[in-house]
Amino acid sequence: MSDIDLNAAISLRGVGKRYTKYDDAPALITAATHMFRRSRRSKLWAVRDVDLDVQPGESLGVIGRNGAGKSTLLQMLCGVTAPSDGRLRVRGRVAPLIGVGVGFHQELSGRENIYVNATILGLSRREIDKRLDSIIAFAELESFIDTPVKFYSSGMYVRLGFAVAVHTEPDVLLIDEVLAVGDLAFRMKCFDSMRAIRAQGATIVFVTHQLTIIRSLCDRAIVMSNGTSVFDGAPDAAVSHFHDLLRIDQDEESDLGWAIRRSGIATVDLGALEAGDGTTTSSINGFDKLALPVTVHAEQDLVDGFLGVAVHSEDGTLVYADSAHETPWPLVKAGTTKRVTIGLQLALPTGAYSVTVGLYQRSDIAGKQVQLDLAPPRLIHVIGRPMVQGIADLKATFGPKPRAAATRRSQPAARRGSRTP
Amino acid sequence: MTLTADAATDSQPVLDVTGPWTPPGTLLRQMWNARHIIATLARREFFSRYRRTSLGAFWSVILPLVQAVVLAIVFTKVARVGLPGNAFVYVFTGLASWSFFSVTLGVASTAIVDNAQLASKIYFPRAALPIVTVVANSYIAVVNYVIVVIAVYASGVDPRPQAFGIVAAILTLLLLTASIATLLAGMHVYFRDMRYAIQAILLVAFYVTPTFYPLGQAPAFLRVLDEINPVTGIIELTRVGTVGADHHWWIPVIATYGWTAAVVGAAVLLFSRHDRVFADLL
Repeated sequence: MSDIDLNAAISLRGVGKRYTKYDDAPALITAATHMFRRSRRSKLWAVRDVDLDVQPGESLGVIGRNGAGKSTLLQMLCGVTAPSDGRLRVRGRVAPLIGVGVGFHQELSGRENIYVNATILGLSRREIDKRLDSIIAFAELESFIDTPVKFYSSGMYVRLGFAVAVHTEPDVLLIDEVLAVGDLAFRMKCFDSMRAIRAQGATIVFVTHQLTIIRSLCDRAIVMSNGTSVFDGAPDAAVSHFHDLLRIDQDEESDLGWAIRRSGIATVDLGALEAGDGTTTSSINGFDKLALPVTVHAEQDLVDGFLGVAVHSEDGTLVYADSAHETPWPLVKAGTTKRVTIGLQLALPTGAYSVTVGLYQRSDIAGKQVQLDLAPPRLIHVIGRPMVQGIADLKATFGPKPRAAATRRSQPAARRGSRTP
Repeated sequence: MTLTADAATDSQPVLDVTGPWTPPGTLLRQMWNARHIIATLARREFFSRYRRTSLGAFWSVILPLVQAVVLAIVFTKVARVGLPGNAFVYVFTGLASWSFFSVTLGVASTAIVDNAQLASKIYFPRAALPIVTVVANSYIAVVNYVIVVIAVYASGVDPRPQAFGIVAAILTLLLLTASIATLLAGMHVYFRDMRYAIQAILLVAFYVTPTFYPLGQAPAFLRVLDEINPVTGIIELTRVGTVGADHHWWIPVIATYGWTAAVVGAAVLLFSRHDRVFADLL
C-alpha cells in the first residue's frame, strides 16, 4: 500500500467501512445482557480496500449497482461517517449534495434557511450577505424567498439547496443523484454551473445512475461492485465495464459500447437552435424543420469524421439518435473550421427536450467509433399536436377505407423493390 | 491513528481520517471551529420554536413563574414547610436553575437523534447539536435569574457581595447542562430508551433538589442525595448571597464541579470514539 497523496484533492488508501448489523435492537437492557455475547451481531463490509486519488480540478464519476458502496463512499468523503479501515484525506471546502435541502427548517423562510445552510457549509455571515441575491436568483425563488420552506414544492427545495451549495465556491463538490429532481431547464442550469465550478479548478465527484451525466461531465469514472472499485479509467470505458458487469448489452445506454473517447483532435459546438425561417428559437412546432448550426474545429487533421445527434426527453429517455457514419468527411484540415447545419423534425409530443451533437470518427476497430467531442446540450420546447401522448408522434392517419390504406402501404415496398437490380 | 478536520488555514480545511478514534484535542478543536455553526443553529432553533405563538419566548419564563407560585402556596399553606423570608422568592431562587436544567436537558439529550436528518448528511461535530439547544435555551436561564435578582431585592433583602454567586451560578448552570446534555445525547444514539428514562429521572430528581425546602431542613438520607445532586450546588450558589444558604453550602458546590468535570471527561471519551460513527445508527 503506497502512501497517501498529499497533493490530491481526495486520497484514499485501503479504505473500508464495516457496518454492524444489529439482529437485536440496541437497547439498555439488551446491551447489558449481550455485553459478553458480541458474536450475535453480524458484520458487513459496505466498502472494502478502496484506493483512489482524485486530483484538484478533476471530475470523477462513480457508478455501480445499488448496494455497491457508492453512497457509503460519498458519506465518508464528506466526513459524515468515518472509515473502519484505512486512511482518507480530503483537502478543501466540501459541499455535499447528498440530500436536498439538508438542514432546511420547515418553519423558517427560504432566506433564513439560506443563512443556516450556507453557514453549515462553511460560509461566514458576511460571505453569505454578499452572495444572497445571486443565490436567490439562481434558485429562481425571488417571489417565494420569504415564505416558510414547508410551503415549497420539491422542485423549489432542490433549487434552493443546489443554489446554496454551488455558491459556497466549494473545492470539492459531492453529488449523489440529486439532479434527478427538478425540471430539465433547471437541470441544464445545474450542469452549466457545475461546468463553471469545474473550470474554476474544483473537484467534483458524481454518484449517479444517469450514465449520460458521467459521459458529459466526468473526466474519469470508477465502477464499484461489492464495495470495491473494480474499474478506474475513462468514463466511456467505465460505462462499458459497468455494462459488462450487468451483462446487459441491449439496453438504451449500450450505444457506448461502440464509442471510445479521444480528445485533442477536434471539437464541436452547437449554436442557438434556429427555426425554419432562420430565426433563433427556444420553442418549435412539431411539424416545422429545426436547424442546428454546428461548428467543427479541427485541431489536428481529422480523417473520416462525422456528426451524431441525439434527442433526450425531460426524464432523460433517449428519444432519437442518429449519425452520418455512412457519409464521413474524408478530411478536415488541421486549424480549419467547418460549419454544418443539421436539419431535424421534432415530431414529438409537447414537452421540453435536449438536443446533443457529438463529433465522431471512424476507427480501425470493427464496430467501434471514436467519440471526439460532445457539444453542451441545447434545450428546445416542442409544441406538439394536441392530445398526442407517448414519447414520439408517429402521425397516425385514420383513413375512411381499410383498402385505400392497404394500397398506399404497398407503394414504398414496390419502390424498394425497383431499386434492387 | 488520528482524525483531523480542522482548518489548517481558513481557506483550506483538511479532513484526514484514519484509525478508530479521534484524539480529544482534535475533537475540542473541531468544536471550536464549529462555533459559527452552533451560533447559527441556535438562532434557528430559537426563532423557529415560538413561530406563530403570540407570547413567543415569554412562555418559557411564564411556566417556572406559575410553578413557583403554586409551590409557594402548597408548601406554606398546605404542607407548612418553614421557608425563610418570602416563600415565592425562596422557591424561585431554586426553580430558576432547576426549570432551565430540566427543560433544556429534556430537549438537548435527544438532540442528535432528533436532528438525524442534518447529522447524517453534512459533516460537523455531532456534539454541537446538544450544545445548540443549550445555547438556544440560555436566555431562559438569564431571564430567570434577572427575575431572581428583582424578586430578591424587591422582597427587602440587603445587597451583599456574595450575591455575585449568581453570576457563578448562571455560568456553572450552563456548563453543567451542556456537558450532561452532550453525554446523554451521545448515549441516546445507542440507547433509545434514554429519552423516557431521562424524563423519569428528572421527575424524581425534582424532589431531591432543594427548590421548595432549604437544604438544612432535609432529613439525613435526603440530604445526602441532595448533596450528590449536581443542581443543588447551583441553587446554593444562588442563595448564599440572597435568601441565605446552608452552613455547609460549599459541599454541594464542590459536588457540582466534580460532576461537571467527570461528565465532560466522559463525554470527550464517548465522542472521541463514537462521534465518527453516529451517522451509521441514525
